[in-house]
Amino acid sequence: MGHAFAKFDAEGWNCKKCGRPLTPCSVNVEYMGSSFFVELPGCQECGFILIDDELALGRMLEVEKLLEDK
Amino acid sequence: MEELTLRKFESYCTQEDPPACQCRCPVHVEAGQMLAKLASGAVDEARKILERYLPLASLTAFLCDGACLEKCLRANLDQSVNIPLLEREIIVNGRATRLYPLPPTSKRVALIGAGLSALTAAYELARRGHKVEIFHLSTPGGTLNSLAEDKLPPQALVEAIDLLESLNTDFNQVQSFEPQWFEKLKKEFGAIFLSLDDPDLLPQSLGLNGELIVDPVSMALKDSNDYLFACELTQSYPMSNLISSGKKVAASIDRILQGANLTAARENEAVRESKLRVNLTGRKVIAPIVPSNSGVYTTQEAQAEADRCLNCSCLACVPPCPLLRSRKGFYPKKWTREFYNNIITAFGIRHSNININSCSLCGLCSSLCPNGFNMSEFIDLAKLDMVVTNHMPVSAHEFALEDQLFSNSKPAYFLRPQKGFKSSAALFFPGCQLTASLPKAVRDLYKYLAANFEGGLGLWSACCGAPGRWSGRRKFTDSTISLLRTDWEAAGKPEVVLACPSCRRFFLSEIPFIPIRSLWSLINSLPLPSSAQPFSGELSIHDPCAARLDTEGQEAVRAILSKLGQKIIEPTFTKTTTLCCGYGGLASLANPVIGQQFVLERLQSTTEPIVGWCAVCRDRFKEQQHPALHPLELLFPQLSPKEAMEQKPPTISDRRYNRAAFAKEMLKDIWEEEIEEEKTMNLKIEISDKVMDDMERRRILISDVTAVLEYTEVNGPMFLNPESGRQIACFRPRQVTFWVEYEKKDDLYIVTKAWSHRMILKSAPGPSLDSPATLEGYARSGGRV
Ligand code: SF4
Ligand code: SF4
Ligand code: SF4
Ligand SMILES: [Zn+2]
Repeated sequence: MGHAFAKFDAEGWNCKKCGRPLTPCSVNVEYMGSSFFVELPGCQECGFILIDDELALGRMLEVEKLLEDK
Repeated sequence: MEELTLRKFESYCTQEDPPACQCRCPVHVEAGQMLAKLASGAVDEARKILERYLPLASLTAFLCDGACLEKCLRANLDQSVNIPLLEREIIVNGRATRLYPLPPTSKRVALIGAGLSALTAAYELARRGHKVEIFHLSTPGGTLNSLAEDKLPPQALVEAIDLLESLNTDFNQVQSFEPQWFEKLKKEFGAIFLSLDDPDLLPQSLGLNGELIVDPVSMALKDSNDYLFACELTQSYPMSNLISSGKKVAASIDRILQGANLTAARENEAVRESKLRVNLTGRKVIAPIVPSNSGVYTTQEAQAEADRCLNCSCLACVPPCPLLRSRKGFYPKKWTREFYNNIITAFGIRHSNININSCSLCGLCSSLCPNGFNMSEFIDLAKLDMVVTNHMPVSAHEFALEDQLFSNSKPAYFLRPQKGFKSSAALFFPGCQLTASLPKAVRDLYKYLAANFEGGLGLWSACCGAPGRWSGRRKFTDSTISLLRTDWEAAGKPEVVLACPSCRRFFLSEIPFIPIRSLWSLINSLPLPSSAQPFSGELSIHDPCAARLDTEGQEAVRAILSKLGQKIIEPTFTKTTTLCCGYGGLASLANPVIGQQFVLERLQSTTEPIVGWCAVCRDRFKEQQHPALHPLELLFPQLSPKEAMEQKPPTISDRRYNRAAFAKEMLKDIWEEEIEEEKTMNLKIEISDKVMDDMERRRILISDVTAVLEYTEVNGPMFLNPESGRQIACFRPRQVTFWVEYEKKDDLYIVTKAWSHRMILKSAPGPSLDSPATLEGYARSGGRV
């Protein structure tokens, strides 16, 4: 599941608070009792992670459904 | 779920029972399949099927007297398919299937007499690898030798005997049958068969002088220790019975030689009635093909005659149901097995969760099925099971459950006796969907009813609890019922007037102690409201699936429309066979794709605007841009019928808003109660139609977007795109994280995108991250938030 969301496309977006461009961050994601690490764009400093619509409604939704059917 | 439950449901679906012809055939030739092959020109394949069932087919195909003819269902339209003649054509023109006898066993079987039953028994035994010894006096074949050439081509018998000899069968001609010889034979062989259809063989010549009684299942002779067998003993020896006798005896002797039980599980060998139900309406009459060439079909004639076969099957329930037809070759018996396997899956993915949740519980299958098979009852049990074992996908029904909680809490929920009355003779219960779709018409309806009612008609604005029940959540449903029960008892246990067909079904099965009454019968007993006006054109009437069995409601609605002077037409599927809009069972929520197929199925053959007496049906037709009305829109119009039917349906946000606004306005206008305004930040938010459409599909409420923006207003946005100036923020108010992209112009938020996900990120802000509030938790609080 480590590469489930292997995708990085947050071009143009910065962290509002720190003003930093978003870079790949390793994030712990949890659902239905399963938990795993994925790489997602985020702010290295304050840890905010961006999940854009394409990811949320695409691959992420698929994985959610899969975990729900487990 | 118990396997027994599965079996019970499976037994109602008789689609797998063989057709009538096959059940009547003494050797159960799969005629339907065989004729389909023949009709398509695949005569070799047809012969393969025939040889699978008919022993020594190259001979017996000429002899079978066609018992199937008396049962062929084509006879109900015109005349039976001439299966016996077609079998001859198949043998003459099809290539013989290569035989692969089993390796020789060391077992020896004696057949005394060489009649037709002996030949077929020998064939079946030799194929199983047993050594067969036939003892006969004159030419093998018995009476077959005296048949006319046009009945049986002489070489057919000769070739059959050659074939048997090649299969490890010896023909031993003896001078006479004698008792001592018979006694000796008994010691030598594992089993003995008496071919009494051979006129040379008289039982007395073997010393068998008493009456011979043959067991019809095993063909064993009574009191012979399952060692002596005989063919069926009749006066006339019909050929088909001899053929099947040989086949049955061979199966029995094989069992004996293998030490297996002689009679276990042999029910299907008998001739019986088929349980397969075949609908013949709409099937064309096709005159039987008469062979042009002295009683023999040409290839073309045979194909045409074979094509007359109806290929009998049931499948009555399958074509109109988007779920049942969604997998090729599937019908309820296969589906229930699939669902059962799904819910007992111990490890791995439960692929059919989505299918289980796609049944709209509409009950159409049970109306169409000749045996009353009802998938909704099975799905109900399956869902309960999934919830109890914690295998119900949470996202499938969550939105509807939250909607139910919303309807049963402040500010949407209330119960009041009629203004000016202390108690209620009855309560009007419009149901959560009617107040969501038509709040103004419900207001006018209530005023009209109350003015015409003796003893006080209270108003009860709530959700009955059907959505929770449809989602399989028993505890959640029970807590809703207990909320309703408490308030109903406090109101003095009055009768409840129901408007919504789903409420009615739910009250009947889940809250049977509350006496109910149909709104439609009530309206029908009163003078029409003065506001009532018909639509000038014809309307196609739509009975909601929950009212499939509610004849009282169906008639009352039609009577009201007729009094109103409204012209209606009945669709093909109506009343007990009405089609579902796809909302039932929360099917469209769990599977929007199939949900849409349900609506389209209903709309397919209808060009007129629809009048349907369920608010959700009406809205789902409108979502597909099909003009639709609820009867209340004709009785208590807020717009002209034309405008009303073309108006856009309410969004999910409108529905919640309407419920709350209905309660607020009614309590204020009629009961003069002031409702406390909800405290909000009153942010200025702008959402375009396009974004609203996306939100509708993604089930994101305006209040969800507001929650994100209110959070942002306090905590600041998270991301900024310096080039476009857009910002992004997220918030997780419940089991879902909502994201909003927006532009900010002064204090105006212009929403450009909204989306959501359910996974929990360790960095997502929001109050309920660690212990997300659960639905069951809400339910425990009595449903009041
Ligand atoms: S129509 Fe065909 S399948 Fe049906 S009973 Fe007749 S031969 Fe059999
Ligand atoms: S959706 Fe209706 S017709 Fe289809 S299986 Fe379910 S109850 Fe039967
Ligand atoms: S109608 Fe459907 S459920 Fe009933 S026997 Fe036929 S295929 Fe089976
Ligand atoms: Zn930062």
